[in-house]
Order: sequence, then structure tokens, then C-alpha cells
Amino acid sequence: MANKLISEMGLPKSIGNIFAARNIITTKDALSLTEFELMELLDVGLAEVMCAVALISEIASPPYQTVQSLLEQRMQNEYLRGHLPTHLKGLDAALSGGIPFGALTELVGPAGIGKTQFCLKISLLATLPSCYGGLDGHVIYIDVESKFSSRRLIEIGLNSFPEIFCLEGMAKEMAGRITVLRPGSLTEFTESLQKIKVSILQHQVKLLIIDSMAALVSGEYEQGPPRQHPLGWHISLIKSLAEFSRIPVVMTNQVRSRSASEITQYSFQVESRTGAIEDTANFDSHLVAALGIHWAHAVTIRLVLESRSGQRFIKVAKSPMSPPLAFPFEVTSSGILLLNDDGVEMAGPQINAIDHQGHSDIICHRDER
Amino acid sequence: MVTDLLYNPGPNTIHGISRLRGGGKIESQREPVRSRRAREMEVLRLPLSASQKGRLISAGYTSIASLSSISPSQLALELKISETEVLEILKTASDGSRLESTGSSRTIVHGAQSAWDMLQEEETLVRITTSCADLDYILGGGISCKEVTEIGGVPGIGKTQLGIQLAVNVQIPSDYGGLGGKAVYIDTEGSFMVERALQIAEACSDDMVEYSCLYRKGSQACEVKRQPKDFLENIFYFRVCSYTEQIALINYLEKFITEHKDVKVVIIDSVTFHFRQDFDDMALRTRLLSGMALKLMKLARNFGVAVVLLNQVTTKYSDGSFHLALALGDSWSHASTNRIILHWNGNERYAYIDKSPSLRSASAPYSVTAKGIRNSASNNKRIKHT
Amino acid sequence: MGALKSLKEEYAIIDANFLQFCASHGIFSVEDFLVHDVYTLVASTEQLSNSYRLKQGINQLLSIIETCHQPWMNGLMLLEDRKQNKRCLSTGCESFDMLLRGGLHEGHVTELVGPSSSGKTQVCFQAASNVAMKLGSVVFIDSGNSFSPTRIQQIVAYISGSAENKINGILQQAMRNIDCHAVFDIYALLNVLHQLKLKLKSQTGYQVRLIIVDSISSLIAPILGGSNAQGHALMVSVGYLLKELADRHNIALVVTNHMVGGEGGTLKPALGESWKNVPHVRLQLSQDHARNIYAVQILRHPYMASGRNANFMIP
Repeated sequence: MANKLISEMGLPKSIGNIFAARNIITTKDALSLTEFELMELLDVGLAEVMCAVALISEIASPPYQTVQSLLEQRMQNEYLRGHLPTHLKGLDAALSGGIPFGALTELVGPAGIGKTQFCLKISLLATLPSCYGGLDGHVIYIDVESKFSSRRLIEIGLNSFPEIFCLEGMAKEMAGRITVLRPGSLTEFTESLQKIKVSILQHQVKLLIIDSMAALVSGEYEQGPPRQHPLGWHISLIKSLAEFSRIPVVMTNQVRSRSASEITQYSFQVESRTGAIEDTANFDSHLVAALGIHWAHAVTIRLVLESRSGQRFIKVAKSPMSPPLAFPFEVTSSGILLLNDDGVEMAGPQINAIDHQGHSDIICHRDER
Repeated sequence: MVTDLLYNPGPNTIHGISRLRGGGKIESQREPVRSRRAREMEVLRLPLSASQKGRLISAGYTSIASLSSISPSQLALELKISETEVLEILKTASDGSRLESTGSSRTIVHGAQSAWDMLQEEETLVRITTSCADLDYILGGGISCKEVTEIGGVPGIGKTQLGIQLAVNVQIPSDYGGLGGKAVYIDTEGSFMVERALQIAEACSDDMVEYSCLYRKGSQACEVKRQPKDFLENIFYFRVCSYTEQIALINYLEKFITEHKDVKVVIIDSVTFHFRQDFDDMALRTRLLSGMALKLMKLARNFGVAVVLLNQVTTKYSDGSFHLALALGDSWSHASTNRIILHWNGNERYAYIDKSPSLRSASAPYSVTAKGIRNSASNNKRIKHT
Repeated sequence: MGALKSLKEEYAIIDANFLQFCASHGIFSVEDFLVHDVYTLVASTEQLSNSYRLKQGINQLLSIIETCHQPWMNGLMLLEDRKQNKRCLSTGCESFDMLLRGGLHEGHVTELVGPSSSGKTQVCFQAASNVAMKLGSVVFIDSGNSFSPTRIQQIVAYISGSAENKINGILQQAMRNIDCHAVFDIYALLNVLHQLKLKLKSQTGYQVRLIIVDSISSLIAPILGGSNAQGHALMVSVGYLLKELADRHNIALVVTNHMVGGEGGTLKPALGESWKNVPHVRLQLSQDHARNIYAVQILRHPYMASGRNANFMIP
């Protein structure tokens, strides 16, 4: 809508010509200036500018829908009510059906905790024929760290869905539906995103996985906080990809140790509640998601994978639907398995903490509490 | 100013006219003197185009008063522009100079309201409940209509939840102490979840049934239950995909609300998203944002709608250390009337009133439950007045 | 001052001939006349037959202009004016008044700068309530929807310190004395100020003691910057109008200006260098969150040392 042409909006001829003469061609050109600047640039009075802007705005505004019609539309048109089930009962229940279409879901956790396993599993699920509870579609798997393993994929398939994968040729077909891309740099990644945009519609793509997002920028992101987020532009693009093709997008994010300067307090909290700081320091772990707070705002669902006292947990850290639940899980030959489906409700910001204890490749070891 | 320039170098008289008139009473002389001088530039203050102003000045029409008595056709002739254009100029000018003609009003300026009248009006205003009694208490009853309220917090603290809750609560009919209005929900992030809206609407409709059972037993037993889908029917959802669309939509809202008079709340979730990327020119961003803020204020004031802006947080360096702060910078922090920050305090979610012209800064716990925003479960009067 | 021909009816000497003569020199308005060298003009009349009459016309014009410039005033007269007409308005906050030796000066434009929630609006409310209760009318120009009658009510009750039942009369009277006007763009502000000016001039006996513009910076911010110079001109124009109102009608004017992050994270006022010379007094406010105390510091004052500061509480 931002690129709509002003000349096609039916403005009065006189003022339309002035817009054209000053090289203000699209809605974006016009609305990126304040009314006052337009007055100056076009050399017309305020009243006329207001009229023109009102008309342009009305045409450029997106249409509305009532939430009811939105709901009905989703119910009718979308298979599985717009969710990709993870086949982990407890998690599916918490997310009211699975990973939602049209939104970003993020997995955060230390290396080796099982993020990639989770990704492999759900990419298989998306390729399964619908009679087995899959989406019967193609998957695009952007593998930044070269962690994708076809052999492991088939193994998970054989163990979780023996009835399909034992059939002649099925394993090949299922695996064939997964396209793996391996961009080497942020620029290559950007290019492939552009291409994906086109191909999603052409080839029945039902799931997009990016493993991992943080690896793309880790090299470039270390030197102090830049004014503009380097991934800012990508966030918009990925979000719009998810939304307009109505597919689930799953991304992984790494962890890094929290630097000393990082504060999770507002300025009004610092002086008045010194006690509160002590509290947070106690339960806050030293690990944080590699991509910062700006990124965390952008994702709709955040699942934290962590391990405490040797037990791994998957936690629903941010979700518009679910209460903060933690599920113990283990990684088996058939992928991730939940140990129980009820989950433990977590209190407070603990749900965001990333524990890493009793695990072999530790980045920043925690002391016993 | 120009006059001073002329006189300073010159001698005191030209052709025998005495130039220096000292003395005399101050009061008697000052009146005409200053008024004339000030009027010199008056035309520049009118919202006219630069070339129109230029024409007026070069034709000698520098004061607004000088435009009041002239006939349009004569002015058109003198300025060498069309008569329709002249009519527009004259209309603009007369807007600026019209004195309050309706004698009944006590106010001095057209459109002003005395504080007393505003107080009377404010006392009749119904606020939108947040469904959390503690939060309502520190907010003086809920989110105020006619004001812009900004709500910010870290990811996952419940901003979107609160947004959806308000969109549902604004529809509580006036029999139940609500507004019976409709909601506009502007989603810039794509984080609105229909299923969640449905859940919250269901809980709200259950609460209403409970309420009517408790307080109006027998009186209207046959009252039809308000269906959750009625709630959802009255939320107008706009999905905005770029900052251009966001600006366009905010411009258009004025017309939209004129057409849909019963809209009582506008929620923008979040106001930040598109402005945090796609911008290289920070000065332009500041201008656009402050222009947008003024438009939202105007909307809130003129239509009596509550404008709720959800904002993200960022880290900010000040006083030698890093703090969390709401995004979009210092100049944006003045854009809202009230500012509420949602934060973690120990194991509980708290809302803190960071800025408000009428409310004390205070904080109150709340919780996010399956039914929506509710009182904190372990609540026993822990509202802190700081 | 306008076109020369508008003077035609008032002064016989400025006739068609004179106008024609002026037009031949490209002079149509008084401004055009002023930028011309009078001596060359007089010299050029010499070749014409009606030179005497033309010179008379020039003299007439000069004497008209004469009445239009600032009268010459000496220090004594200014002092007298100040003593007679320019009083101090108490803000109702003791330490604040003490810092300013009496309060807000009539005839001065006082600017309050400070980051968000530093008490700018609260100081405005306090001053407005106090003036409205004890002295006279207040005009509150609100660009941020921040005017809260409920809050005014609280402050009035606090200042009067009287019992609830007695306060109603005072309250109503005080609150009727405050006029609030919501403006959302710079032209609306200019319009309001212009109307105020006309009203004050035309209606004797009506006296406004205090005008508050909260906040001026949010109106000016959208028009500054970018590639145009007109925004700047408008800002200067607003400043001029404010000062004129303050001085001519003996009104205390208060404007608020917010602060933005400058280089190195330090805060600076949003309206910077070019606005700096508009307010006579510039005060910086800040809030100590922990102790809930507000602090005020003088940044600029015509006759007091800058840097002095005081603490105050807001009821």
C-alpha cells in the first residue's frame, strides 16, 4: 500500500499535478513528510494539504476486519485451525494446537540442548501427509551453522512414524520435500529470503525454519549496541513472509553470557527498590538470548530450552495464549519427548531464565545456589 | 526594527520635523506603537503557502486586520490570482481574527473551556476497566477516555494481553458500569491472536452473567447472555505493515471514528515496531513521531476516545549506567498523557505509573490468567505509593 | 502598516499624485518606503513640478512612521513601569517563590525545561491554581491533553487548606478563572494567541494574569528541521508574540520545553539555540524518584546568578 501511486487516487487535478511536479509519486513519499513540510515543498496552503493528505491516507489505509470475521475465516479456511501440531501433547495443549501459522516462534537455548532436534522433528511433521496429522507440504530449512543432518532426519522419521517411513520410497519422498539452504553470510541470507518470498507461493511451502538466526549476526553484533538493529529490516520481512503466506516460521536463537553492564531494571526501580535488585540477581541466570531485547519483542512465541540439575526443560516463555509452563523433556532416537504433559507453572521472570547445568559444553557455568 | 535602522544613522530632523519625542506618559504612548509594530509580520503566521504570503506582503497586506475590509475581487486584481484562491485566503485570515461573537460564552478565546466546566464533564466520564481491581485503583478507575495512555514493558510481560483485554472491556454495557463502546485494534506486529481474544471475551461474558446473577436477581432473569462473538464483532482489527500505512491509518482514523461513533478505544500494538527499523534519518523520525503524537492527542480529545499505545523497551545509557527504558527516545516520552510501565518485581508482574498529570506515581501487582488480566493471586493490599 | 493607499483617506497630503510618484520608485507599501533612501527620494522630487507637495507628503509619511516605532524610554521610566505594572505572581510553592524572589514575573516569559515526568506540568498546575484563587484569570494552552481539572481541584483544596464543605465556593470561583484551550498544531497556537491579543486589546477591565503553554516544544518539534526555513520563522514568530503579550498586557507567561538526549547521553532542551533567547527566565526541573522531591535550578535569568537551585515538594 505504501507504493500506491498518488496520480491514481483521484486528487483534484490542480493539486495532483503539484504533487507530481515535486516528484512526490507514491504514498510513502507523501506521508514521509509532515503536513508542514508538504506546505513548504508544494507551496500550497495548509487547508489544501490537509485535504490531500486526508484523501491519500484514506486510500492508503489498510482495510479493517472485525475480529469475529477474522476468527471465522481462520476456522474455515485453515487446516488444523491454523496450527502445526508438534505431537508433544502438553506443548500442543498449551499453545492451543501447536505452532501457530502466520507468526514467529523462537527456540532459545544453549548449544546441544536439542533445538536442532526440535526443528528436524517439526520439519518432518510438516511434510507428512495430512492423514497422519501433517501439513503435506514442502519445508524450507535455512541452515546457517551446517547442522542439518539427513541421516538424523530419517532416523527420527523411522522411529516416530515407522508405518510411513517403512513404506518403500516414502522416506525419500518425505526428505525430498525439505529444501535446505546454507547461506554463508548475512548478505547471502538476505538474498535467499528474497527468493523464498517468491517460491513459497509457487511450491506449497508450509513451514520455514531458520537455524540459527543469531549465528548470522554474531560476528557483526559484538561491537557495542548499534543505533539501528542490524536485523531490523529482516524482522519485518520474515514477519510479512509468515503472515501473508500464513505459514509457521520457526527460528532458533543461541545464548550468550550476560555482560556485567546489562541491567534489567528501569531507572525508577534502581534507587527505590534496592531489595528488588538482589532478588532478581538471585534467580536471573547468567545466560541471556544472543539476540537482544529488540528481537525478543518481535517474536510471538518464545520457547526456552534449558537444563536444570541434569534434567532438560522446555518452557513457554512468551506466548499470548499460554500460561508460563515448563515441561521436562529428553532427546531420544525419535526426537524430543516430553516426560509429562501437565507441565509446571513457573512464577515470575524465572520463565525467561536460561539455566545450563549438568551439561557437557557449558559456556558460563553457574555456581550452586 | 526596520524603523530603528532608518533613524539611527540619520540626523534628528529632515525638513524640520522633530524626530525625538522623549518624555510623555508611558501608558498613553505605548498602546498604538506596539500594536502596529507587531502586526508587521502577522500574515506570515497564517497557514498559507509561501507564495501566497509573498504576494500579500508585496501588495502591502501585512496585517490580518488589513484583509478584513477588502473585497475579494479587488484583492484578486491586486494579487494577480484567481478569485477562488482569494476567497480561500480570506477565509483562512478571518479564522485567525474572529473574535468570540457569541456573547453567552464566558471564555475569552473561541473554543476554550473553563476548568470548572471541564471538571463537571470529567466527573461524568466512565473509565475503561482493566479487569484488575488494584490496577484500576491506582489509575483512578481505569484507562481514561480523552487521554493518550502509553503502556510499555519487556517482551512477554503482557502488553498485548492488556491491549486485548481493554478492547473487550470497553464493550461492557453501561448497565454493568461500562461504556458499551467499540474498539479499534491496530496491529503493527502481527502479534494479535484471535484465539486469545475469544478466550478473554468468553471470560468477560461469563463474568457478566455472574454479575447479573448476583446483583439483579430475579429482576431480569430472562436477559439474553451477551455472546463472546458479539464482543469480537465489535473489535475492528487493522493490520498495518509499514510506517507509511501506520501514518495513513492514523490520519484516516478521524474519519473512521466519525463514521463509527461508538468507538471508544483505539489500541495501537505496538506504536514502535515500524519506527524502530526502516529509518536512517533520525530527525525525520522525530518529526513524524511528534506529528503523529499530536494527531493522536487531537483524536482522543475531540472524540472522547481512549488512545492506548503499546510500546517496546530498549536499553538506554544515562547517568553512567544502563537502564531499561521505553523505546523511541526522549522526545517521544512527552507524546503521551499517561505512561504506565509493566515490569517484574520479584515473582510478580507490577504496573507502575511513570508519568501522569493527574495521578500519583504508584505501582500495583496484576497477573495474567487464562481469563485475561486479573488481580494478582496473592494479593493482600500491597499497593505502594511512592 | 500596509499599503500606502490605505493612508489616502486619512491624510489629504497623500493623494493620487503622491502615490503615483511613489509607484514610479517601486514604492507601494510603507515597508517599501522604509527601505528606500529618503534623501534620494527627496532629491528626485526636485525635477518635478509639484516638488513641494511631494516633499510634504514624504514628511507626512515620516511622521506617520514616527508614531509606529518604539517610544524612547529612559531607565527611570522603565523602572517606574516595572514598579507600577509588573508584579510577581506567587506560585504557591514557597521555596520556588523564594528562589525567584517572589515568583513568576509579569512581563517575563518563564520557561520550564526538564525530562519527562520532572514536574513541569505540576508546577504549571500549581501556579495556575494559586493565581486563579487569589489574583485573576489564567489561560492554559494545552498541547498534550495533560490538563487535569481533578488535579487542579486537589491543589486548590490543598492551598486553601479549608474544610471540604467550605471549599466549594472558592473552588468554583478558582476553576472558573482558568480557561483551558487544547491546541494540536502551531497554527492553532498562533490563532489562539492572536485572538487573546485582540480580546485583551478590545476589552478593558478584563485582565489575564498568567498564560501557560504546556508544552511549546511538542508543537514546534514537528516543524523544525528538514529542509525548510519557514519552520524556524514560525518559531521566532511565536516567541515574538509571547513576549509581546507578556510585556504589553503585563502578563506572566510560562512555557514548558522538554529535553532530549544530546551527545554522550546528556540531556539538553529540545528547543535549542535559536529558541534560547525567547524566554527571559529558564528554569530546569528534575525529580528525585527515591525521595519524591523535585528540584529546580536557574539556567538563565536577567538579573539573578544562574546555577542557584531549590528543592520543592508537590502536594
